[in-house]
Amino acid sequence: MAKGQTAALDAAKYRRFYEQMVHIREFEEECLRAFQRGGHGIGGYLHLYSGEEAIAVGIIGALDLAAGDCLIGHYRDHAYALAVGSPPGPVMAEICGKYDGCSKGKGGSMHICDAERGFYGGYGIVGGNVPIALGLGWALKYRQQAGVAVCFFGDGSMNQGAFHETLNMAQLYKVPVLFVLENNGYAMGTSIERSHANTDLTDRVGSYAMNRKKIDGQNIITVHEEVSQIVADMKANPAPFFLECDTYRFHGHGAADEAKQTVVYRTKAEIEAAKANRDPIAIAAELLLEAGVITDEDIVRFHDEAVIAAKAAVQFSDDSPVPPADELLKDVYA
Amino acid sequence: MARLRYIDALALALREEMRRDPNVFLIGEEVAQYQGTLELSKGFLEEFGPQRVVDTPISEVGIIGLGIGSAMAGLRPVCEMMRMDFATPAYDQIVQHAAKIRYMFGGQFQVPMVIRGPSGVGLQLSAQHSQAIEVLFAHVPGLKVVVPATPADAKGLMISAIRDNNPVMVFESLRMYFTKPDELEAIQPGLSEVPDDPDFSVPIGKANVLREGKDITLVAYSWMTIQALKAANELAKDGISAEVIDLRSLLPLDMNTVLASIKKTHRAVVIQEQWPLYGCAAEISAQISERAFYDLDTPVLRVTGAFVPMPYAKNLENLAFPTEVDIVAAAKRSLGGK
Repeated sequence: MAKGQTAALDAAKYRRFYEQMVHIREFEEECLRAFQRGGHGIGGYLHLYSGEEAIAVGIIGALDLAAGDCLIGHYRDHAYALAVGSPPGPVMAEICGKYDGCSKGKGGSMHICDAERGFYGGYGIVGGNVPIALGLGWALKYRQQAGVAVCFFGDGSMNQGAFHETLNMAQLYKVPVLFVLENNGYAMGTSIERSHANTDLTDRVGSYAMNRKKIDGQNIITVHEEVSQIVADMKANPAPFFLECDTYRFHGHGAADEAKQTVVYRTKAEIEAAKANRDPIAIAAELLLEAGVITDEDIVRFHDEAVIAAKAAVQFSDDSPVPPADELLKDVYA
Repeated sequence: MARLRYIDALALALREEMRRDPNVFLIGEEVAQYQGTLELSKGFLEEFGPQRVVDTPISEVGIIGLGIGSAMAGLRPVCEMMRMDFATPAYDQIVQHAAKIRYMFGGQFQVPMVIRGPSGVGLQLSAQHSQAIEVLFAHVPGLKVVVPATPADAKGLMISAIRDNNPVMVFESLRMYFTKPDELEAIQPGLSEVPDDPDFSVPIGKANVLREGKDITLVAYSWMTIQALKAANELAKDGISAEVIDLRSLLPLDMNTVLASIKKTHRAVVIQEQWPLYGCAAEISAQISERAFYDLDTPVLRVTGAFVPMPYAKNLENLAFPTEVDIVAAAKRSLGGK
C-alpha cells in the first residue's frame, strides 16, 4: 500500500465504493450458494468476480455514465451491472433464467446488461467484446462527444487475433477506449506462463505505441485515482489507453470447476494466500479505516446489509416467473 | 427510369443514404483514398470527408466489431468487405455477436449495420476469391441476407438494408457489377432500369416474379437469376413458358411467392451458384416438398455448382458452376422432354 495514499480522499465516494464492493462480494457468494443448493434455476455457466471487485468499482466509479461514458464486459459480468447501479434483483433473476431478469431470462449469467446505464453487456466469446468496444468509442468520437468507452477483458483475450486488430485500429484512429486488462493470472485453467510468450502483458501492447500502465488492481484507491486521471486525459485528448490491473480470482474459472481447480492448475495454498493478502475488500477496509472514511461499525453494517440484499435478490428471482413460451421467438429481429 | 450498371446503382444508393442520414458512414479496406478497389466509392471521400469514408487496415474482425459497437450506440455503419469472402475471418463477430446481441440481451440493443461487398463465382479468381458463401450466413437467426440480381434491386435493397435496424449482409454480384445495360436489355427489356424516384426502395423479404410463365418455375438469386432469364429465353424457343422468380433475399426467405408460382406451374427447378449439400436450393426444395407436394407433377430439381473449391483453370472453372445450359437441361428433364 502506498504511503500517504489516504491523505485527501473524497469520503462519501469511498464509503460508497466500499459498500459496493461488499455488496458485489456477497452477491457473488450468494450466487455460488444458490448454484450449489440448486432449485433456483441457475444452469450452465456461472463465473464469479470475487477477488476482483476493486477494478469494476474503482473504474466504473470514475465514469460519467449519464453524460455518455459507457462500458462493455465479458462473461464474468455481474459486477459491472451492480457497479453501474442496476438493481440486484433483475441481475439475479437473469442468472436464474427468470422473466424479470435484465435480459428477460434469455441471456443468463454471461449476458447481463443495462442499456439505460451504459453497460453494453457481457459476452461469452473470449476477446469477442474487444472489437465491439472499438465501435462504442468510435461512436463517441464520431459525435464529437467527450466520453470514454471502457472495455473489460482478461489475460486470455490477449491471445485472440481480435484483440490485436482492435488495439492497432484504436491507436491508429485515436479512439477513446480504455482497455482494462483484468489480469488474474489464469485463462480458465491455463496460467500466463503457459500461454504468453512474453509474460509482461503491458509490454506486449508496446508495439501499438499506445499509452499504457500496470497497476495494483486490488487497491481501490490506486485503481480509482489512476483511472480518474486517465479518463480526464482521454476526454481532453481522445486516444485509447491500456490499463493492466493485477488481480486474482478467488473462485474457479466457473462455479463448475470449484473443486477441480486445486487439482489441475493451482494450489489451495496459492488461493488461501491471495485471500489472506490480496483481498481487495480487506485492503480497502484497512486503508479507509486509517483515513477515517469508514468505521468498524460501518464494516459490520455494510456486510450485514449486503448479505440481506443478496438474499433479497434471490427472493426477487424466486418470485419471478420463467419467461412465457411466446418469448421464444421474440427479439430475434428489430 | 435510368438505365444503370449494377455498380452504379449500388453507389447511388450509398451516396443518397449518406446524404440523407449523417449517422451513415462507409468503412473498409481501400474505400476512401483508393476510391474502392472497383471504384464503387469514387468521389465519396471528397464529398463526405475522412470521418465518414474510412480506410482501414486489413482487419476484418476490427472492421465488423467497430461496426457492431457503433451500431449499438446509434450509428449506421456500412462495412465494406473488399470481397465477401473476407467476411470469414470475422465470422465470429457476425454470427456470434451481431446476429445474437438483440436476442441474448432480451431486446435491449439493436445492431443496425450493413456488411456488404462483391461476391459470387467465376472470373478465374480461384478458390479463395470465387465462391458463394452467403448460405453460411443464411443459416443464422438474427441476420438478414440480401442477394440482389438487378441494378434496380441493387439500389432498392441497399437502401432498405441501410435503413434496417438489424445486421444486414448484402452479397453483391461481382459478375453483374460491370455488365452493360444494353446486355441486360437484350436478355429482358427493362432489366437495367432503375427508378429515378428519390423515395424508391425495395423491401427486404419479398421475392420478385421477374418473368411470368405457366409451364415451370425457375427459382434463383443473384447472378443465377440472370442465367435463369437466359434459360427462359431458350426454353421459349421450344415453346416452354418458364416463370422466373428472383428471391432477392435468402433471409428472410419468401416462400409464399415460390409456392404460389408452383400452384400454377406444378414444376420447379431451384438454382444456386455453388455447393449443393445443405444449400439454399436444398432448403427451398424441402419446403416445397413439405408445403406443396400435391401441387407438384414432378420432383423438384436442383441445379448447383460442383462440390469442390473453385478451380483456376478456365476449362475446369466452367465445369464448377451452373449456366443457362444446365438450367435449360434441368427444366426439360422436369418436363419429361416436352
